[in-house]
Amino acid sequence: MLDFKITEDTSGQGATGGLYDVIIVGGGPAGLTTAIYASRDGMKTLVLERETTGGLAATTELIENYPGFPDGINGMDLMERFRVQAERFGTEVVEFEEVSSVKPVSPGLIEVQTDGGTAYQGKTVVIATGSRPKKLGIPGEDEYYGKGVSYCATCDGPFFKGKTVIIIGAGNSGLQEGLPVLEYAKQVTFIEFLPYSRAEQILQDRVRSHEKSAMLFNYRVTEIRGDSTVTGVVAVDRATNEEHLFPADGVFIYVGYTPYTRFVSDLVELNRWGYIESDAHMRTKVPGLYAIGDVRADNPAQLSVSVGDGTKAALDIREYIQNLK
Amino acid sequence: MGLLDQETTTRVKNMLADLPAAVKLVVFTDDRHCEYCTEIVQLVTEVAATTDLVSVEIFEIHRDADKARDLHIERAPALAIVGERDYGLRFYGIPSGYEFSTLLHGIHSAGHGHAHLDTQTKAYLDGLKVPVDYQVFVTPTCPYCPRAAVLAIEMAVHSDLVNANIVESAEFPDLANRFSVMGVPLTVINGKERVEGAAPAHMVVDAMRRAMA
Repeated sequence: MLDFKITEDTSGQGATGGLYDVIIVGGGPAGLTTAIYASRDGMKTLVLERETTGGLAATTELIENYPGFPDGINGMDLMERFRVQAERFGTEVVEFEEVSSVKPVSPGLIEVQTDGGTAYQGKTVVIATGSRPKKLGIPGEDEYYGKGVSYCATCDGPFFKGKTVIIIGAGNSGLQEGLPVLEYAKQVTFIEFLPYSRAEQILQDRVRSHEKSAMLFNYRVTEIRGDSTVTGVVAVDRATNEEHLFPADGVFIYVGYTPYTRFVSDLVELNRWGYIESDAHMRTKVPGLYAIGDVRADNPAQLSVSVGDGTKAALDIREYIQNLK
Repeated sequence: MGLLDQETTTRVKNMLADLPAAVKLVVFTDDRHCEYCTEIVQLVTEVAATTDLVSVEIFEIHRDADKARDLHIERAPALAIVGERDYGLRFYGIPSGYEFSTLLHGIHSAGHGHAHLDTQTKAYLDGLKVPVDYQVFVTPTCPYCPRAAVLAIEMAVHSDLVNANIVESAEFPDLANRFSVMGVPLTVINGKERVEGAAPAHMVVDAMRRAMA
């Protein structure tokens, strides 16, 4: 079935400018939730998004554990609703706008600079940049990116109709994203480093019961091979130390995520994995600067938690701004 | 029943309300074989119905071969977005899913006739001496793709020597195979230099430099 999404609202031609109450960097579920609350509360709210809004949630084919949708909902559709809801209350959204730096100027004034050379001023800034799929860092991974190696099954799955696919990582993301691939690929093999899967049982059951799926545990993937495109994956059985070559036309990599913090890493406190430390109200150590969603330390990367983070930040921002006066 | 629901139609109307100049959507269908030709005609008609400034022309690629040649269109379904000038904006396949946004961006850019690009990119484009063939392969389910497609549109609007050909990969497997497309977005400059992913403008400029070296 055809659908038609408006992810970029060109009518606004970006932002109206001036001093914002809240500038939210990142238009995923956490950022859009803060936007919904803040703009509904009458605050002048801006969302800056480096790609299109929706974040990682938008690349999930079917979200089944977000309350209120008993039959599940397509990630893209759900995120579209978040955005429409935020805009309804006056949130301004600028897409394809990558933030290069965040600079506290004075109490109640933080400047946000973008790669495109625009500067925005906000009384508060919320970092909701989420995380990006992690790379394995093995030979062949970069070389064959776009030539069979992919980090987005929703985007690239259609190229592997009737083909042999390997999905590296049998956690929640790997299995969740692998399920739709199973529908059209010839064979899908999941290779997991651990001796077991940490994915939800329901996902494991679905994958295991699928006739075209296979699961390999306790394998360390060491190389992606190919000629002009991917031809296979080399992995070592960690129990026996034996090396195996698994032929494949496509490789999808789901081995976790890294937080996206390059533009604030010298400003805020990061934990040892690079996630931003914030308190129970989502405040970082910089007054007026908040961190929410997947980019925040100790966040389990769940949609409902991101929504909660976004709500908490918005509530605290209201108080913070009132105290500025 | 319409392809666009009421809410989407209203948003399209708002987005196109400030068009300063007329935009023509020229559609090429193919009577011999075409999966989404009916839908693409319906889609552009529904979009055009939201404003007086957008009009639609429909041609059949074989019957109207001269017209297709004039617009450098070799396959269908194709859509040329033509503003006051023809900036070379072409969409191959139906702009559905995330690509619907790209279509709207294309209409908006063609109507306004100016691009949002950084100064270095504009300076590079201003110095071009020969035409650049700019292709972006996309799929409708790819949230990263509009970023790559929109960059092509911006560059094409800025420079008369750059065109923007956005190709829905699933509808044109021959093209996707020819360029070994296995991941989107994929930008191909002059048929040879590839940029994988939603890359920033300077990476595409580098690819243009390599393609012309």
